Amino acid sequence: MQWEELEKEAIRCIKCGACQTVCPIFKELEAESTVARGKVNLIKAVIRGDVEPNENFSERMSWCLACKACVENCPSGVKVDQLVIGARQKLVEDKGLPFLKRMIFRIGLRNRRLFDFGLGMGSVFQNLLFRPAANGQGMLPRLPMGLDKRRVLTPLAAKNFTSRCSEINTTLPEEKTVAFFTGCMINYVYPEIGDAVLKLLKNNGSSVIVPKNQHCCGTPAYINGDLSTAKELAKATVDTFCDLEVDKIITACGSCGLALRNEYFEILSDELGYKEKVERIAEKTMDIAEYLAQKGLQGELSQVNKEVTYHESCHLGRGLKVRKQPRDLMKSVPGVNLQEMKDPGRCCGAAGSFSLSHYDLSMKINKYKTDDIVNTGAQVLVTGCAACMMHIKDGLNQGDNSQIKVMHTAELLAEAYKKDK
Amino acid sequence: MDSKLVERLKKIVGAEHVFDKYEDRYCYTYDASFITVGKNEVPELIVYPGNKEEVAAVLMLANEHKIPIIPRGAGSNVSGGTISRNDAIVMVLTRMNKIINIDRKNMIAELEPGVITADFQTQVEKLGLFYPPDPASKAFSTMGGNVAECAGGPRGAKYGVTRDYILGLEVVLANGQILNVGARTMKSVAGYDLTRLFVGSEGTLCIITKIIVKLLPLPEAKKTMLAIFDDLYKASETVAQVFMAGIIPTTLELLDNIYIKSIEDYVKIGLPVDAEAVLLIEVDGDAAVLDKQIGIISKICKDQGAREVKVAQNEKEAEDLWVARRSAFAAVSRVRPTIIGEDCTVPRDKIPEVVKKVREISAKYDVIIAVLGHAGDGNLHATILTDERDHEEMARVEKAIEEIFIATLEAKGTLTGEHGVGRAKGKYLHLEVGKEGIDLMKALKRTMDPNNILNPGQMLGE
Repeated sequence: MQWEELEKEAIRCIKCGACQTVCPIFKELEAESTVARGKVNLIKAVIRGDVEPNENFSERMSWCLACKACVENCPSGVKVDQLVIGARQKLVEDKGLPFLKRMIFRIGLRNRRLFDFGLGMGSVFQNLLFRPAANGQGMLPRLPMGLDKRRVLTPLAAKNFTSRCSEINTTLPEEKTVAFFTGCMINYVYPEIGDAVLKLLKNNGSSVIVPKNQHCCGTPAYINGDLSTAKELAKATVDTFCDLEVDKIITACGSCGLALRNEYFEILSDELGYKEKVERIAEKTMDIAEYLAQKGLQGELSQVNKEVTYHESCHLGRGLKVRKQPRDLMKSVPGVNLQEMKDPGRCCGAAGSFSLSHYDLSMKINKYKTDDIVNTGAQVLVTGCAACMMHIKDGLNQGDNSQIKVMHTAELLAEAYKKDK
Repeated sequence: MDSKLVERLKKIVGAEHVFDKYEDRYCYTYDASFITVGKNEVPELIVYPGNKEEVAAVLMLANEHKIPIIPRGAGSNVSGGTISRNDAIVMVLTRMNKIINIDRKNMIAELEPGVITADFQTQVEKLGLFYPPDPASKAFSTMGGNVAECAGGPRGAKYGVTRDYILGLEVVLANGQILNVGARTMKSVAGYDLTRLFVGSEGTLCIITKIIVKLLPLPEAKKTMLAIFDDLYKASETVAQVFMAGIIPTTLELLDNIYIKSIEDYVKIGLPVDAEAVLLIEVDGDAAVLDKQIGIISKICKDQGAREVKVAQNEKEAEDLWVARRSAFAAVSRVRPTIIGEDCTVPRDKIPEVVKKVREISAKYDVIIAVLGHAGDGNLHATILTDERDHEEMARVEKAIEEIFIATLEAKGTLTGEHGVGRAKGKYLHLEVGKEGIDLMKALKRTMDPNNILNPGQMLGE
């Protein structure tokens, strides 16, 4: 790839500065170079030969959450996230990935069995390295090991979701058959969300296929500019799902959903023979809330007495435009009282591996979110993305608000159903 | 820059508020104008002071060392007013972003320059008060920038511009002196009106550190309508007719066929793509009189040959009509990558002839010029749609712009209604104010800033 390939999109920035009101990173770092307009103009400067694509440039490109807030707010609709990802790709192409990311993406993610094994072993040994945090809300690192010692993480599951559930889960009467793409967070960290998704789908007339050999959607590699790993993972996902005879492919994570529905077009644009397959997958992919909201929750719903507030994950809200559906579904459950927070669409700061490489910055951004949550007085924070859940839990915990529970939309909705069916 | 000097500046504003890396500094070589100076004019240092004392200390140091200071807010001006130069320090005032007080009894407010315009408006409106100036960038522009550029906006037809709401200022002069001008009262004739001199001075005379504004009561209601015309000339003639009927609309926006087509293409809201012009009109005030006013305006539009008149029946319908206006800029930016928004302004009755002239100029130089005017105040906003990478076309664009300027002045108008002179129009200023005007402005500048450190090169070109 050449820098010039980014020019067509970059020159569409009219430099108006509207992104300044919405960029969470800029709010913290205050320099023009950290706002969307700055990053786009740095890319233009590289194309023009005014700026070297060096360490400083690379650092500024790393200061992006890919939260799409600027994209949505941009009067000319410049795809700033795509430009930053493009710049990261070119940097990776020319200079390679940093060590930790290279290990995770190239060795870990590319090898599903090794990944399964590694994370499975991790679940056994993690107690040596981590200690439990307050109110059962996760665990804290015992030693500094590349993770911030204050950081509250959710332990890896003892057994990952795809290996503990059956591949085929039929329900009667069967109205639809769907496939469930779990994504890594649900598969390895929050299998209980997977259980909830299954329960919901079955109670709503869908038989569910959970392909055993599914793997990461590729988003973490893609966002970090590792296009070759992203391609490999995207191809594996497409190959696993495109020939299944199902009505829909269900995701329960905004980023995975966005990958399957939109980003594969970009990632696999030059892969022969994939265009039609990608189209088929994109057409079938639906977020769990979107899918259920088509008909509303079916069957008998029991009382779930909870004061909840809802966080719109960036990729589910701005990415897939799924905003109304989770709210409508929650409101349809007797006893659930939804209190909107001040700015539900503001990024929580997690942004996948961003919170690994820029922990302090991501926690500063997280603070706005947890303050907004606390101000609603809700007992439960509900969101449609497991990565946001982990980060928000961490923030609530560090702010002594661990009494506020964090749940996936599917988990809350599933509580309304007594039986597993 | 001398490292000792950098250290002293870091001491003044705090090291974390100073940016010295090349990549960070590079990002002040542009603003929202079409001017970008690039690597040859990367400023020496960027500082973000947190209060007036820090501003004064930085200025004292800069004055002593004769280092140019370029004040900047959100960098959302479109005249090149904050474009950097390679020997300068860029001073960004966004950290000074507090609303100091909103005084309901006296209907005034005091605020720092870094407050975002729309945030301020939201705060005063919560108290039933109103700060009318509404530049298109209000969601992200700073009040300091609005004052320095004397920003306007669509509501100018009825409510005037920033200047009309500024009662007083606290400013820091080039030598670091802190000065309070104006008053907290509605009337004050104590000495020369320095407040008016500083409003619109584009950072060339002082740094604004506090603003005292006058507020109005928030109008009770609004009513919006859209009139569709098959004839651009007829539509532009309608503008003056409305005012002659004794009604001052809050906004009266004129969109030509290029805008109508691009907007419809982009947002699909059912605008007639064959129409030559639409007028988007809003009145505000006491709810009881609005229907009557809209009725009169509708009749005038029909008498003038409007094909159709749509009156919004509720807030939702009004919002739908405004979608067209709000998406205008985005819509045309999809047509060509470079958008140059001119802001020549003429007396209302001259709108038809100047609109006609703009059409001729567009044909003559074969450049796309769309018109989206705040027609109520004669502010035409001829918008040139072009591609900055095409040098041959850009040369034609420049000629076309010059001819628009001449046509404007012949119609007894002004070169810039609300964007400011900045870098973009410096060389044309003499056409409007004459040699004597330029000489007096230069003399004033030299008196107040003898070392010429405040935003040099702007406005007067030296």
